[in-house]
Amino acid sequence: MEFLLYFGDVFTPVNFALLLVGTIGGLILGATPGLSPTMAVALLIPFTFQLEPTQGLILLGAAYTSTVAGGAVSAILLKIPGAPANIATTLDGHTMAQNGQGTRALQLSFLSSAVGGIFGVMLLIFLTPVLAKWALAFGPSHLFWLAILGVTVIGTLDSKSVVKGLLSGCIGLWLATIGFDDIMGAQRFIFHDALGGGINIIAALIGLFAIPQVISMFAKGRQGDDAEVLQVQKHSVFAAIRELLRFPRAMGIGMTTGSIIGLIPGVGGQIAGLVAYDQTKKFSPEREEFGKGHPEGVIAAEAANNAMVGPSLVPLLTLSIPGSPTAAVLLGGLLIHGIFPGSDLFDNHPDVAWTFINSMLIGQVLMCLFGLYVAGLAARVAQVPQSLMAAIVLGLAVFGSYSVQSSMGDVYVMAALGIMMYFLERFGFSAAPLVLGLILGPIAEANFIQGSMIANATDGMVPYFLTGTLNLFLIAVVLASVAYSVWMEVRNRRYVSKEEIMV
Amino acid sequence: MSDLNLPRVQHVVASGCVLAVGAWVTYLSYTQQPAEAFLFPRLIATVFVVLAAWTFAKAIMGWTKVGAGVSPIAFMSMVPGVVVMLVYVFWAAKTLGFYTATAASFFILFSLYDPAPHNALKSWMKRVFATVCFTLVMYGLFALLLKVFTPREALF
Amino acid sequence: MKKLLAGAALALMAAAGMAHADGHESYPDRPIMMMVSYGAGGATDFQARIVTMTAGNEDALGMPVAILNKPGAGGRVGWNWLATQAEADGYTLGAYNVPHFIAQSIKGGVSYDIDSFEPIANWGADPAVLVVGADSEFNSLQDVVDFAKANPGKLTTSGAGLFVGHHIAALQMEKAGDMKLAYIPTKGGGAAAMKAVIAGDVMAGINNLSDAFRAREAGNVKILAVADLERNEFLPDVPTMMEGGLDVDNASVNFRGVMVPKGTPQAVIDKLAQTVPTMFENGRVQGKMKAGGSPMNIMTREEVQAMWLKRQETLTELLAGL
Repeated sequence: MEFLLYFGDVFTPVNFALLLVGTIGGLILGATPGLSPTMAVALLIPFTFQLEPTQGLILLGAAYTSTVAGGAVSAILLKIPGAPANIATTLDGHTMAQNGQGTRALQLSFLSSAVGGIFGVMLLIFLTPVLAKWALAFGPSHLFWLAILGVTVIGTLDSKSVVKGLLSGCIGLWLATIGFDDIMGAQRFIFHDALGGGINIIAALIGLFAIPQVISMFAKGRQGDDAEVLQVQKHSVFAAIRELLRFPRAMGIGMTTGSIIGLIPGVGGQIAGLVAYDQTKKFSPEREEFGKGHPEGVIAAEAANNAMVGPSLVPLLTLSIPGSPTAAVLLGGLLIHGIFPGSDLFDNHPDVAWTFINSMLIGQVLMCLFGLYVAGLAARVAQVPQSLMAAIVLGLAVFGSYSVQSSMGDVYVMAALGIMMYFLERFGFSAAPLVLGLILGPIAEANFIQGSMIANATDGMVPYFLTGTLNLFLIAVVLASVAYSVWMEVRNRRYVSKEEIMV
Repeated sequence: MSDLNLPRVQHVVASGCVLAVGAWVTYLSYTQQPAEAFLFPRLIATVFVVLAAWTFAKAIMGWTKVGAGVSPIAFMSMVPGVVVMLVYVFWAAKTLGFYTATAASFFILFSLYDPAPHNALKSWMKRVFATVCFTLVMYGLFALLLKVFTPREALF
Repeated sequence: MKKLLAGAALALMAAAGMAHADGHESYPDRPIMMMVSYGAGGATDFQARIVTMTAGNEDALGMPVAILNKPGAGGRVGWNWLATQAEADGYTLGAYNVPHFIAQSIKGGVSYDIDSFEPIANWGADPAVLVVGADSEFNSLQDVVDFAKANPGKLTTSGAGLFVGHHIAALQMEKAGDMKLAYIPTKGGGAAAMKAVIAGDVMAGINNLSDAFRAREAGNVKILAVADLERNEFLPDVPTMMEGGLDVDNASVNFRGVMVPKGTPQAVIDKLAQTVPTMFENGRVQGKMKAGGSPMNIMTREEVQAMWLKRQETLTELLAGL
């Protein structure tokens, strides 16, 4: 309960002003394509040089929480996921916006972000010692199985055909191997200078999601205005809250998956949203509606990726190991003031530690209030005529992918992948499994190689990868996930063929 | 007749391309050195090529269930847009400078696909105005706020 | 409002147009970019941000330095980019890590070597240290050596990658002690390698002194030896490898500094070589570096040139057998 003592510190005028700036600025930065939370926080670090440690951390904490939520805005309105965390949000969120339900989608996303986010920070406050042990429990073999678990999700994610889903995943896994191999340093599949650094995940995300959409708008040709004007439905905040309460399962799965996966160093944030989305879909009685604008999809994805924020800081705050790129940047923000995370932080600088954590708590609320306030207005984006929209999205995509690491190569990769994805989509492939492959490939590979090196030096491959409670548990989950997909495919096929016979 | 078969032919072509890429990737992963760095690519490529072959076979047999293909009308209307996009991304952005290229391509694309009449002054004014606004917003966001130094070669 | 915006835009364009005027006398007349070939938040990135924070001061460069991260493959991606794609106009600097880039160029498969770059100045020297988990049964370098000798190839030792300082230190230990370690390169840099030690995934690890110092403060690891010629001021109680009986010199010490791609105008190099070391000596920079646990070692362009050549020689010899 120590954190309550430091609540006052958040509300001093300067601190509160910084919190507001961090939150609103974070939302805007998060909504900008190409700016992941990591980059947004890194951009703010120089400002903290001038501030007191506490103030600097308030700014960074607020910015971190709200950029994660802000990514949902561009995911819903423009179908450009701001960061890998927001991929799952595009699946249902953007469809809702296209149906004129953008306000509802945004409200649900902010509300579930806030609930998930507060849950995550609460875990950080109360369960840090337990969580720290859990975060360390994942060695290379476990991370490998976890990545494989992600791969099994690929086939069923956002695709009508399991084979094409898997094939999309394979393309993604292959694309991930392009560039210098991280461990050996060997060059793989570099057939253009732009690929030397591998395929940047943020640039790829922009290309794979935004460009197909731009081309589909071109494909519709010069359509009359009247055909396109879309009624953006009003949606009251209370209705959104009621709706949120109607889907406790999506909320629950989102929060738990998000906080558990977010905790694991090196994997966490990127796949939390997708895994939660997939799980919610599997458990939902209305699973056929997913991908067509089902609110559960948005709730689960956003609850998960904000719930991950708190736990993702556990390894940093307790063990001084940054578990995610964003945590690594925050570490820099602490070190610059001579504060070492770990026991030192909580023992000698409790004011800094708790004010930082509290600011993330209050930041969630502020972010939610501000987000709800602008949701109705922002949803009007769906009314922008598509000729204008195509030009805007293309411009944003080019600037966004360039700004990731000031590289023209990333822009080329973005456009090339995007054009390829448009045609693939027309033939039944989809972007989400491809991106999942792109994210999971390096995790699976690095941990497999590292694991096999350790295994060869110690007790051998079989005992290392196939024994131990956590390994066995993960393998069981993998098998269950595969069995479930096969079962669904068989059932679907029977269903489809029956339908065909009837027709 | 040709209408009926178009998606099927397209599916064969598309999955054929995927299969070709798969075969090529597989070939590369089994021949490139150092072999230990290509262990993982080999694994992926093998699965890749098997799945691609399966999809290709299905397309030839006409069993493909998902994906509507690209209709000739849609293809014709997207060609100009895609050409502008290619020129913008692969040539203009670097050679003319980001802001010039963005403004130009924005204006061309918007004019190409804007349903408003092409012979009314008012609609041209609207297009110019939108282009200027967009360029300014991009400049404000990326150059001023985020301090991204974009290529400014020939023009701004 | 719109008028205001338009006016502001015009003014901006005019300003930007002026900034485009060329000539080395006025260098630098726009913000400078410094490429760091490791991810945001890593030790190199963190230190690079601190040492360049006063660049905008009048007595320094007078223009801010923005950090650009190009991580991947132990730094190869970034240095390849700097050597082949970056413009040699003085507005693109790079951070170097010695021995990393020299070792990689000797090993081959990259498009750079020491002749591709011009050093400007060195800011830090971060020795590699041998760490074990806090509850490990190893309590001294001798324990580790004894185990490695008794069990060749069984002592799993994590480090940040192949042909980086940590790997060099491991190779030197193997050579000096006539033993075989199981060196495990991790993806994700020093932080991932440290996590592997703390979590007990590996038995020992080689890591940066600055990161290990912090991990020891947090009570997570024991530091058994420093791979340097003398003890470090941050860790006066930790013996050097030589004191512990292993003939390991300072070839693995991670020197960090600023360089530019070859072809940068001589006038610009001279100006940078003159200004940058004084920038590192700034009191605020020194204070922040000390607070962050990062050992400094400021060297001028000439000193760095000599150091590069010496490293090139030692590393060629060390890596010859591989």
